[in-house]
Amino acid sequence: MSKYALLLAVAAMAQDARQIVEESQKRHRSNSQRYEGVLQVFNPNGKNSEKRWQFSRVGNYGESKALLRFIAPPEVKGVALLIVNHTDRASDQWMWLPELQRDRRVALQDRSTRFFGTDFSYEDLEERDVEQSDFKMLGEETAEGQACWKIESTPRKTRASQYGRVVMWIRKDIYFPVRYEMYVKDQVVRRLHYRKIEKTQGVWSALELNMEDLRRKGRTVLKTEKLQYNVPVKEEMFTLQALRRGE
Amino acid sequence: MRWLLFFSLIAHAEQRGFVDVRTTLFPQTAPSDSGRVIGDALLRYEVRQRLTPWLKVDGAIDARTDSHRQYEREFRIDWQDRGVQRPAISLRRFSVTAHKGRVTFEAGRQFIRWGKADILNPLDRFAPRDFLNVIDNDFLGVLAARLTVEKGAHTVDLVLQPRFTPSRTPLLNQRWVVLPRDLKFAVSQGAARIPGGVQSGARWNYLGRGFEMALAFYEGHNHLPVVDGRLLPGLRVELFNRFPTMRMYGGAGAVPLPWFTVKGESAFFKTSDRGADDYVLYVVQLERTVKEWTFVGGYAGEHVIERRVQLDFAPDRGLARAFVGRASLAVDAARTLAFETAVRQNGAGAWLKSEYTQQLSKHWQARASITVIRGKQDDFLGQYRRNSHAILALRYGF
Repeated sequence: MSKYALLLAVAAMAQDARQIVEESQKRHRSNSQRYEGVLQVFNPNGKNSEKRWQFSRVGNYGESKALLRFIAPPEVKGVALLIVNHTDRASDQWMWLPELQRDRRVALQDRSTRFFGTDFSYEDLEERDVEQSDFKMLGEETAEGQACWKIESTPRKTRASQYGRVVMWIRKDIYFPVRYEMYVKDQVVRRLHYRKIEKTQGVWSALELNMEDLRRKGRTVLKTEKLQYNVPVKEEMFTLQALRRGE
Repeated sequence: MRWLLFFSLIAHAEQRGFVDVRTTLFPQTAPSDSGRVIGDALLRYEVRQRLTPWLKVDGAIDARTDSHRQYEREFRIDWQDRGVQRPAISLRRFSVTAHKGRVTFEAGRQFIRWGKADILNPLDRFAPRDFLNVIDNDFLGVLAARLTVEKGAHTVDLVLQPRFTPSRTPLLNQRWVVLPRDLKFAVSQGAARIPGGVQSGARWNYLGRGFEMALAFYEGHNHLPVVDGRLLPGLRVELFNRFPTMRMYGGAGAVPLPWFTVKGESAFFKTSDRGADDYVLYVVQLERTVKEWTFVGGYAGEHVIERRVQLDFAPDRGLARAFVGRASLAVDAARTLAFETAVRQNGAGAWLKSEYTQQLSKHWQARASITVIRGKQDDFLGQYRRNSHAILALRYGF
């Protein structure tokens, strides 16, 4: 009897974890998003470099499309990445290289690579859709000074991932994630902190993301500027032709 | 007034460009070229003006000078870029793009790339190159109208090129043209016979769930020349380039597999010209990224169906029947290291290039490369064995 109770309790906790993540995604939904990102890349030797990109997204979790285009420094200006997210599988990604005047598909097995020298990998730029992972409640913990749920997600087979599991901390008061830890085997390889959490146009947003690559001992800070939600964005801006046109 | 209008137009435009100053050092002289050091400078300025949400203009201009008389000294804007020498000032791109829904139309001088592979692109028929330096070459824009219709996973591209742009071939009196040592007559370079008429092509591209594929057709002239000659009085021969007719049927595909991505590209070329070949070019390559390394390696092959050509300049075929590879390492956000190689399957020619790039500051970048070429005189790569070189370059980007 106690075995069944334990199983039921585990099932209930798993359900809770999934519900919390679903609720978190539901609460922070927006039909579109646009911002200008400032990326500061800090190498292990302390030197830093700065890159800027413009980011646009249309659609919601799992079915969204995003376009990211570098606007500085000069050597990467015009380089762009188109991400088409799917609910049932990993995203499709294409890179536009203006020097070559060509687009290039980013293969699934290459998504663990660092994105343009930053500490984000290509995979980190995808959305993490609820349907592609299993969730487990690990407990409650204080993170970034806030009471949080600590939840573990493991990718289902439909989603190929470099990470064996991801542990996330979600604020209990506003259902907003504040920290992610990404694991390869039993080792934390990347840690992402969400900082400067504020409401923009009624949507809770982190205006600063801090990604640490613990193997390389580098970190990248992404600051979002000119953030806007629910701006009029057309679907046709998120195609390969739009990538080529430089939308 | 005109300048005022120009500056007010570009004031709100997207702009980018660079100034690149480069020194090329050749340890060996060549029979037709005793120069060992070449200095050259390039200013490239690109501008994009969005006139309405659906209409934009792209422009790019190159201004160059060099110490080796490979570039013209005349101060004029060459909008065609079809001369024997590289123009001092050339219009690299000037096109108008309009789009509505699934349809994009671009007209003017532009770049059109159809290939999917990285080491050789038989499908790139609208992509002539400037081969003044055969190893370090650059694409030339073409004057064309391009209509693209994208519907779901399908894209259809239709291209009309009313004015032919040939690839620029190396200059006869410089090291990238290797003439036989025992020539009994003087050779001079005549004006190229550039064909008139329209080049046209169509491509269908499909993005599948786990693959991509494309089929392409081209009707027009080869942008790489057959070399003909005519006898002049006094034991002199004038060589000139002419561009044979060409019809191409081609296809390309890319399939990401669990360990690497396989890419293939192949085309059958047929001609009605009695001095040019019918042949097939193909390339199969594997690519993989491991941590900060990217590897591309494969084989470029050729099958000649009917051989008729006596003398030509065809780097695409010259690179065929070879194993080709590229490896690059992103050391960090500011430094990259890259290696490229091609080795002919019969061992008659080989080429290895290594390049190091470092971002010095937000605007400044330094580049150093070493290219080693080895092989036999009768091989396309091997003939350039005295042209191994090192390049030091400094670039200011804006």
